Amino acid sequence: MEVRIEDLVKRFGDVVAVNHVNATFESGKLIALLGPSGCGKSTMLNMLSGILPVSEGRIYFDDQDVTSLSPDKREVGLVFQNYALYPHMTVLQNICFPLKIKRIPKKERIERAKEYARMVHIDDYLDRLPKELSGGQQQRVAIARALVKEPKLLLLDEPLSNLDAKLRVEMREEIRRIQRESGVTTVFVTHDQEEATSISDYIMLMKLGVMQQFAATRNLYNDPANLFVADFIGNPTINQLHGIYEEGSIRADGFAKAIPIGNYKIEDGTRIVFASRPESVLVSKKSGETEMEVEETYISGKDTLCVLNAGDGFLRAYVDNEDAPEEKTAVRVSFRKKGVFVFSEESGERYYE
Amino acid sequence: MNNEKKHRHPIRYDPDEKFEISILWKILLFLGPFMAGILLFTIYPFINAFLMSFKENYSILRDTFSGWGLGNYRKVLNDPIFVSGLKTTVKYVVIVVPISLALSIVIAVLLNNAKRFKAILQTAYFMPLVTSTAAISLVFRFIFANEGGLVNKIITTLGQSQINFLGTNKWSEIVLYIFGIWNILPFTIILLLAGLQNIDPQYYTAARADGAKTFDIFTNITVPLLSPTIALVAIVNSISAFKIFDYVFQLYNKPGPGYNLYTIIYYIYEKFGGTKPQYGYAAAASIVLFFIIAVFTLLQRVLQRKTDY
Repeated sequence: MEVRIEDLVKRFGDVVAVNHVNATFESGKLIALLGPSGCGKSTMLNMLSGILPVSEGRIYFDDQDVTSLSPDKREVGLVFQNYALYPHMTVLQNICFPLKIKRIPKKERIERAKEYARMVHIDDYLDRLPKELSGGQQQRVAIARALVKEPKLLLLDEPLSNLDAKLRVEMREEIRRIQRESGVTTVFVTHDQEEATSISDYIMLMKLGVMQQFAATRNLYNDPANLFVADFIGNPTINQLHGIYEEGSIRADGFAKAIPIGNYKIEDGTRIVFASRPESVLVSKKSGETEMEVEETYISGKDTLCVLNAGDGFLRAYVDNEDAPEEKTAVRVSFRKKGVFVFSEESGERYYE
Repeated sequence: MNNEKKHRHPIRYDPDEKFEISILWKILLFLGPFMAGILLFTIYPFINAFLMSFKENYSILRDTFSGWGLGNYRKVLNDPIFVSGLKTTVKYVVIVVPISLALSIVIAVLLNNAKRFKAILQTAYFMPLVTSTAAISLVFRFIFANEGGLVNKIITTLGQSQINFLGTNKWSEIVLYIFGIWNILPFTIILLLAGLQNIDPQYYTAARADGAKTFDIFTNITVPLLSPTIALVAIVNSISAFKIFDYVFQLYNKPGPGYNLYTIIYYIYEKFGGTKPQYGYAAAASIVLFFIIAVFTLLQRVLQRKTDY
């Protein structure tokens, strides 16, 4: 089912938690609502579920306006951050509960619950109580309970934040698998960019209630709309040099030489931020446009991370271990076309070539 | 070593060191008064009553008895007055405890969901607990009085004939039940409220999202999650209801207008005092009541373990 959000606003008193957001979630896709805490992503999810009323704007499920419908009428499946499994019910009873409320006959109820228990691989634990399960297993039960209603939309609120690191990686792949298998449009909230980029088809990145960018996951990395997006997505974080644009170069603060960055539609003298992904910084001993000093080197696996002195700022770059330069030596630096962006220092807006 | 000694907790047991006498004194000083009270007013009387129940023809003034035996028990259990007292008591427990519990659950849930005046309402329900039952019983007597009683005024205004609430067997029993329920409510509601506030509101959100309506949530979520508290309250109330005596006495100054509200404690009270005291019977009846209450206490333990999520 397709979800369409039109001009969505949520206010809590004077605080605008979600500020005029527009988006369309394609049917059958896995969408991540991503952003730092307080960005309005959970508020957004709660408005999609119907737990929170909207202040302004409309929400459509396909062509149906669901803005004023209660959660159960919207046919959404919800997975809470701490799972909210009913502690007095067994796994089977938990999964059956939404069907019991719908007064579906007991036999059919159990059959359907078992089917979804199998899908989430929890069918060996049907008679256990939630407290007898591990965090990952509880998570599976919560997903099965949300899916058993055969919802049009599955909503997960920080589904992985209560799990330990190893389980988190395992469960996020499980969520991906279960989503593919059930084919249900799924929206999940996370503050972890790695979590979002590793499993989702689309990411909506938010900051202070404002949608920064909504795009296919790969595009968010390769084609960020503004400095915030470029900075938030990617690990290690993108290199940022502040300075003045001048005829296809940047005069980085505190750096003697102009660094060529290519021609952009910017007036000379404008203050800009030149951002480059570490893998787009090419370091060589001989050829390259700009000379920089290697400040520090760290070996990380097959690569060496070089920190290059660029005046007030610095650049991080990866070099093969064999080609790694010595610390405190000069190297030549140039940039790839891909993974290099220029932003306005004032607004963070992106400049294009 | 020196340093370690300085920081050691003074009471921690160390097998290499002699337990310091001064600490023992301190412990005794703090625990002593309490232990003395328990020994003197609970444990000693209990043992004494237990022994007394097996002494035949016991006289408390002369401290003489004719021999050991089960005669008191045989006599008490075959005494129609005791049996009817037991019946009256059990009937009181069976009526008052479930009704007060059901009422309390409903009131507690409503209070817990109250949006406005929550604090005022919760305090209002707490009031009877801090008011003396003797005062409340007086008010009850006024309310149910024949001439000028509030209830009778309402009844006669509605064109019905006046009812003798306090003077007839049938109605005096009902007034006692109302009085018992009324007195038990505040304590029960307070405990249930505490239990309700321990329930994570997320379960309600989850249930609502699953399509559950208010009644579904009450029966499927609230009551089961409240069951540990419900079990506790039910048992504690049953135990205190088995000991019913003061309410009857305060309302009627005797075991009901026609001796119809004669309870086990009344039996014990009368056998112990009165013109021809039979201490052995009183002791035996106490021990019988003790075992009834002991069974309920054990039941509570089992129930609480079962409902521990």
